[in-house]
Amino acid sequence: MLSIVPTPTETTVEAQDLIEDCLASGEDLSAAYPKVSLLLKELIHDERWDELAAILPRLIMPSIDYTTAGSLYRVMSRLGKHRALGKRTVKIAILGSSTTHQLAQFLELHLFAAGVSCEIHEADYGVFRQEIWDPDSELYRFRPDVLVLATSRRDLGGLPSLAEDRGAVESRMRTELAEWTKLWKTAHDRLNCQIIQNNFESPPWRTLGNHEGRHPASASRYVTMMNLALQDEAPPHVTIHDVDHLAASRGRWRWSDERYYYHAKLSCSPENLVDYAHSLASLVLARVGVVKKCLVLDLDNTLWGGVIGDDGLGGIRLGQGDPDGEAFVAFQRYVKQLRERGVLLAVCSKNTDAVAREVFLKHPEMVLRLDDISCFVANWDDKATNIGRIADRLNIGVDSLVFVDDNPAERSIVRRLRPAVAVPELPLDPAGYIAALDQHRYFQALGLTAEDLKRADYYKADAERQAAESSSQDLAGFLASLAMTARIEPISAANLERTVQLINRSNQFNLTTRRYAAAEIQGIVADPTWVTRVVSLSDRFGDHGLISVLIARIDETALVIDTWLMSCRVLKRGVEGFLLNHVVVIARGLGLQAVRGEYLPTAKNGLVRDHYQSLGFSPIDTDDSGRSTWTLSLHEGWSPAPTHIKETPHDDHHHDSR
Amino acid sequence: MTTTTTILAELQDIFRQVFDDDAIELADSTTADDVDGWDSMMHINLIIAIEKRFRVKFAAAEIASLKADGQNVGGLARMVERKLGDPKATRP
Repeated sequence: MLSIVPTPTETTVEAQDLIEDCLASGEDLSAAYPKVSLLLKELIHDERWDELAAILPRLIMPSIDYTTAGSLYRVMSRLGKHRALGKRTVKIAILGSSTTHQLAQFLELHLFAAGVSCEIHEADYGVFRQEIWDPDSELYRFRPDVLVLATSRRDLGGLPSLAEDRGAVESRMRTELAEWTKLWKTAHDRLNCQIIQNNFESPPWRTLGNHEGRHPASASRYVTMMNLALQDEAPPHVTIHDVDHLAASRGRWRWSDERYYYHAKLSCSPENLVDYAHSLASLVLARVGVVKKCLVLDLDNTLWGGVIGDDGLGGIRLGQGDPDGEAFVAFQRYVKQLRERGVLLAVCSKNTDAVAREVFLKHPEMVLRLDDISCFVANWDDKATNIGRIADRLNIGVDSLVFVDDNPAERSIVRRLRPAVAVPELPLDPAGYIAALDQHRYFQALGLTAEDLKRADYYKADAERQAAESSSQDLAGFLASLAMTARIEPISAANLERTVQLINRSNQFNLTTRRYAAAEIQGIVADPTWVTRVVSLSDRFGDHGLISVLIARIDETALVIDTWLMSCRVLKRGVEGFLLNHVVVIARGLGLQAVRGEYLPTAKNGLVRDHYQSLGFSPIDTDDSGRSTWTLSLHEGWSPAPTHIKETPHDDHHHDSR
Repeated sequence: MTTTTTILAELQDIFRQVFDDDAIELADSTTADDVDGWDSMMHINLIIAIEKRFRVKFAAAEIASLKADGQNVGGLARMVERKLGDPKATRP
């Protein structure tokens, strides 16, 4: 069943038009605000509270200016008792050593926009430590659900002097950190509430110029290290609010306005308080579980340039060589990353289903694939109806959807008919899509889940591997550092499927490119005149699985290699030499005098043209087609190739050593 | 041409928005005591709105002086006028 689409009243439509104009006017609401302000006053005067309550949240955005935000706050206060209680009510204590009054107002404003009511306790200016230490303080009588420590760099116990050495700076940092962790512990022991602690913003000025990062006692280096340490030390009930990032993304000189600190103890420029409060609100919303879960995407001119139904697969703009095409790829990458961190994706497009899907299936530059899309709706119904279907199918609330569409008319209709859906404005230029979406912090989480951290660890392992590659003095050092282990075993029922897959898929590291079906391989395995080996490789970064196959025929005096192939994922690891060493042992065990191999050139296997030569084989013959044959005599002083791979025993039931 | 009178009219507009009160009538002689709710926080709000509207910048000490005893809106208008005539005092 579809959710019921509310019918808007005429007056709401009129007001909505004004709001649409206002939103379309761009980032700065201040120019359009006077007109909106008249409307809001009219609604207040006529006591049309429901309409006011419906319209007001639309106007509250992270990018609005300070004065407009102040006006909206006062309108919200007038709405007061007339507004329905929010989905949730949350008690928030804000402690800071700077003025937090405006911050508290804007926090309340943003929470209101998300449908959450709040009660806020602010400590007196500059006494936040006492509030926490003193068990009889107002803080503990208030009993907040969320405690915000709205600190700034001025709350650091002091910056190192340039005379301090690394050890002194380190111990200063440990002392500082211990004080904060003690504050967190005391507050948490007594309140058992979530704590949101600001990190510290680097100052914009640099007395050491370019070399702040290098000097052990420089201010920016100290602040950076301190922030990392805070993140690492924070227990799950403490969320570090990344104010340093807010400052950096705004521009450090623009972030702070010293005049307002000296005059009014505002920790940042007043204009930045609106966005700062929005960032804080997004963390509070995550705490109370009011979060967005799904990004609903239009297709034409949202994920690619042009209209697939008109322009066709070759006509849409997506990919390198076209500025718009590159911007759409970048936007898709951003969306894909949201998907990877757990945000659901849905498609809501006015298109013929098959035509829309074809782009996902066939366009080489598509970053998003069909299996990234949890719900794919392409038809000619109106989008408000389709969005209801998407919510139903995914079994999530309409209020957990974010709808992204380049078309202002579609955005407008969804805003009117589905007021619970978040619908961000998009600029005309796709190069601005990421910024337009990201600024809303729709998908904020309070912390990282165990899976997130595990994933992060995986990426860390990858980074370590890259670091190992670059730090190795030479290849041998690198290979040794990988701590590779390999299992060598004959082809068996257990590995048949993967082996056949590799035989029929490998093109580059494949000496003969002979394709065999499973039944043929089973025949070879059952025939005592054939020898088969497969290699599975692990290293300290993970398990690569089965990566190499060798099949050889026993001739009268030699072992003749029919097939030798390897996955390109493990090139240049020395797997070839390792496998050859093993094969030589087998050949000797069978009383043979040589190992022979051949190379059959194809369009794709130039990589292994010199394979046998590099392993010490002697050429026998090369014909006009480029086919070459090679032999390795086992009589002469053959010595095993050096290897950094350690062999691990294979499973007992496969121990046919033939 | 911007004169003290037109600046005063613009200031009145700003005051009405910031204080959310369309009944505010400003004169040269209006002081902080004459406007309901003109406390230190509203003063900041006023200064921010004035800086934005006129694209001027007040020094920290000027911000404080504008609400000091003996100061009135006429003084504020003249300070804005002075800044508008001085390119160094206006924002780019």
